[in-house]
Amino acid sequence: MGKVIGSDEYGRRVAKHYRKLMEHCKVNLDRIEAEYPEPFLNFKELLKERGVSRRAFLKWTSAMTAALMLPPLFRPVVARAAEAFGRLPVVWLHFAECTGCSEAFLRCSYPNVDDILLETISLEYHETLMAAAGYQAEQNLEKCMQDFAGKFICVIEGALPQGLRGQYLRLGPKGKTGIQIAKEVVSKAAAVVCIGSCSAFGNVQAARPNPTDAAGVGKVLGIKTVNIAGCPPNGVNFTGTVLHYLMFGDLPALDPLGRPIWAYGKRIHDVCERRPHYDAGEFVEEWGDAGAKKGWCLYKVGCKGPYTYGNCGKARYNDAVSWPVMAGHGCIGCYEPGFWDTMAPFEKPIDESTIGGGDRTADNIGLALTGVTAAGIAAHAVASAAVHRKKGEAPGKETVKAAQEEKHG
Amino acid sequence: MGKIEEKREWSAAIRINHWAMAAAIVVLIVTGFYIADPFTVYQGETTDKMFMGEVRFWHLLFGIFLLFLVIWRIYLAFFSRFHADWKDFLVWVNLKGLVNQVRFYLLIDKEEPERDERYLYGPTQSLTYLGLLAIIICMVVTGLILMGAGYHAGLSGFAYKVLRPVERMLGGLAMVRYIHHILTWCFVLFIPVHVYMAFWHDALLKQGTVSSMISGVLFKRVEK
Repeated sequence: MGKVIGSDEYGRRVAKHYRKLMEHCKVNLDRIEAEYPEPFLNFKELLKERGVSRRAFLKWTSAMTAALMLPPLFRPVVARAAEAFGRLPVVWLHFAECTGCSEAFLRCSYPNVDDILLETISLEYHETLMAAAGYQAEQNLEKCMQDFAGKFICVIEGALPQGLRGQYLRLGPKGKTGIQIAKEVVSKAAAVVCIGSCSAFGNVQAARPNPTDAAGVGKVLGIKTVNIAGCPPNGVNFTGTVLHYLMFGDLPALDPLGRPIWAYGKRIHDVCERRPHYDAGEFVEEWGDAGAKKGWCLYKVGCKGPYTYGNCGKARYNDAVSWPVMAGHGCIGCYEPGFWDTMAPFEKPIDESTIGGGDRTADNIGLALTGVTAAGIAAHAVASAAVHRKKGEAPGKETVKAAQEEKHG
Repeated sequence: MGKIEEKREWSAAIRINHWAMAAAIVVLIVTGFYIADPFTVYQGETTDKMFMGEVRFWHLLFGIFLLFLVIWRIYLAFFSRFHADWKDFLVWVNLKGLVNQVRFYLLIDKEEPERDERYLYGPTQSLTYLGLLAIIICMVVTGLILMGAGYHAGLSGFAYKVLRPVERMLGGLAMVRYIHHILTWCFVLFIPVHVYMAFWHDALLKQGTVSSMISGVLFKRVEK
């Protein structure tokens, strides 16, 4: 009898696997608590101060555990990792970018646990936030690189321009190029996390015609980075990745583009709340029409959800209030490399794309060629009839012709 | 009067494969163009409608058919007991023969150049069918990427894992879809030319070219 694995046996197997994993987490967290310094801010007190109840915190741990694709069993481990969050030294570098990613993480109407978590982070160097300036700031960076060599996490925001040997971007009191700084810091870091599409894939700086020859950090330095893609990315995707690092001592599984699979494993299209309208064949034809008012699918007004991997629909933005498709504008595909070129124009389906002219050009050329083919066929048919019949020289035809002529003649 | 001789040209497997592929390609073109630029279905409640879902279902189903048909066709090309025709796809390598064949088609030469009886295809045919095979393979690969992006289980899930680097190489799903769309036009252009040439051959050479893909038999007039 082909018995389906019963819940008992299945449960036992799973429990065994996860117990092992949990042991691993505990050993790793013990190591982190022993090796890394005490956090500057006490996470528990900070939560209390900000009015986050224990219940709210537990809810958050449940959500984060689920988001990381772990069973509820791991909630205490996630909570412990959250407390250890502030121990991890972080160097946050800014290159060619708009600081929008930092802004997105910082600005909240009422901070949730993720935001408070980011507040506890042991930021050794962050150009926008640090009080130090000039040589003092440089000293901080050098000290951190010395003290925490091989231990700190290097978070990078912004692409690296390669043109003019990198001189499109010079920063700091010593006027080093972005590439120089990146090389120095990355060589000492335990892991490199690229925040935002700029550092991950180059983003708008690398869009055509790309005058400064900008590119993502991984590509310029030839290293493997964790790419928290997005313009801006969701804070959850960063905190989750760091929590994963704290719990397992290793970076999460990445897709071929270096994005954590737990966050970037499914397409926007697959978890979209408007997906049923897509399957039903209900599309918004133009802004503000009856379909738009009913919340129909935005595919025909340029939603790039089908080509974009991300968890926007699940995690949402701005205290998880909303996200672009929910607000009524299609996804622009900002989690994907080169989206300015491959996804534009953002409010039309891939119609007049910057690369190759898009669907419409392809269709027009295709239609024209079909017309030419049809005309060619017609012309060829007429010409064939004329050439081959007049002379009666078609192969194998003579005998028939001769027979016919005999008959008539 | 000449005597007519029968020559068995196509095996049953090739014929079935040919028509199944033709049907699949027609369904795929029609459903594919709807998916690329859908019209809105206004009538009825959302919960009662599944139009795009159904069109996509048929598109995926026939896409998978095409995948297996092309695998079958390649298998036949190498291991057919009737006539393994992989060499026939390379007749065009003899460029002189190719030029002569084109001259015949362009009505410059009035006699069809001597056909090498060992091969099923003439030089232009072999080149076109090789190209078509390549395009079908490209379509199947890009199609599997687009399908696997949404269905992570089973065949498409497995194929997607293997093909993910290809997706990355091509520049993301948007580019994969764009290539998939452009290559569709190759089929749209191929079909009328292919059908016309079959009719043309039939009308001119009187060998029963059109029916040969049904009966498998070509007729040849033998001079006394």
